[in-house]
Amino acid sequence: MKLAVTGKGGSGKTTTSAVLARTLARRGHDVVALDCDSNPNLGISLGVGDDETERLVSMRQALDEGEEEHAPGWDQVLQRFGSDAPDGVRLAVVSRIDNPEPGCL
Amino acid sequence: MRVAFVGKGGAGKSAISGTFARLLARRGHPVLAIDSDPLPGMAYSLGLDRDDAPLPDEAIEDRPDDEEGPRYRLRAGLSAAEAVERHAATAPDGVRFLQFGKIRTDPRALFRSQLAFRQIIKELPDDRWHLVGDLPGGTRQPFTGWGAYADTYLVVVEPMAKSLLSARRLARLASAAERPVQVLAVANKVSESGDAEMVARRSGLEVVASVPLEPAFAAAERAGRAPLDLVPESAAVGAVSLLVDRLDRQPLRGAAT
Repeated sequence: MKLAVTGKGGSGKTTTSAVLARTLARRGHDVVALDCDSNPNLGISLGVGDDETERLVSMRQALDEGEEEHAPGWDQVLQRFGSDAPDGVRLAVVSRIDNPEPGCL
Repeated sequence: MRVAFVGKGGAGKSAISGTFARLLARRGHPVLAIDSDPLPGMAYSLGLDRDDAPLPDEAIEDRPDDEEGPRYRLRAGLSAAEAVERHAATAPDGVRFLQFGKIRTDPRALFRSQLAFRQIIKELPDDRWHLVGDLPGGTRQPFTGWGAYADTYLVVVEPMAKSLLSARRLARLASAAERPVQVLAVANKVSESGDAEMVARRSGLEVVASVPLEPAFAAAERAGRAPLDLVPESAAVGAVSLLVDRLDRQPLRGAAT
């Protein structure tokens, strides 16, 4: 299954996503948790902590700034840029946290 | 003053910024409230009964082919200041209200409204209004794009892990901004004695206001009403009033001092 959780800021998207991901993993499924928020906090709700969450963010930034090579396939992307969260969930950060271009404008 | 409220989604930016704008206006200042969030928010906390107040179609036109710039612009002859005078909504206490434009089914209509909004913000005279802005949640671009009009950023922070981490990121992005900006923290939904101190320590920012967690204030939000109308005597409104005291020492930018 592929689930996306959306909604207004502060409504509980991150917490819901994290509980879903870990619950599915506990049932024996292989789960990848993708943090697509430009302010990525999913690591905190999954339980990997502040420092590891920020490490993933800085890896993502380094990619844009050309300091990290991109991985050639999705599995290598998860391996190089992801992190192990509790219950066997694999977490990766998709978005960079700053973007001076305001959307489609 | 030109302030913008930033912070994690749900931290309380809209409720605090709307209340702040009206309290500032009550002191006799001309205030323009600016809502840059494509999701609902500031209109309710100002006390308007509808969330959507886009610029009318007649204020906007297609840019001629021989002119450089975005596809739509303000109608020829309509200055940014006139556009506000004529077309910005009027909220209680005389606050004028300018809105980026809400997500709607016709993307073209939103695009027109948004480009005109951005032009107004860019060309607004320095000495006419105090600006109080409500920015979208998160870190994406408050110090560039949408928030570039502000010189003081107030980061609204809840004493919770995700909100604190977001504040720390905002502080970091501000220090990397190309222009000098002042960044201060507003601790919100504070319930324990060490909360404000924790916000200061973990965000690395100076805390200039501490707004208590209060069921009455939350009830106003739930009802889509302005806290200032529904619970004017609440401690949370009192804390925002102290914040206005604290910041109401700055003259209009560009005004003779």
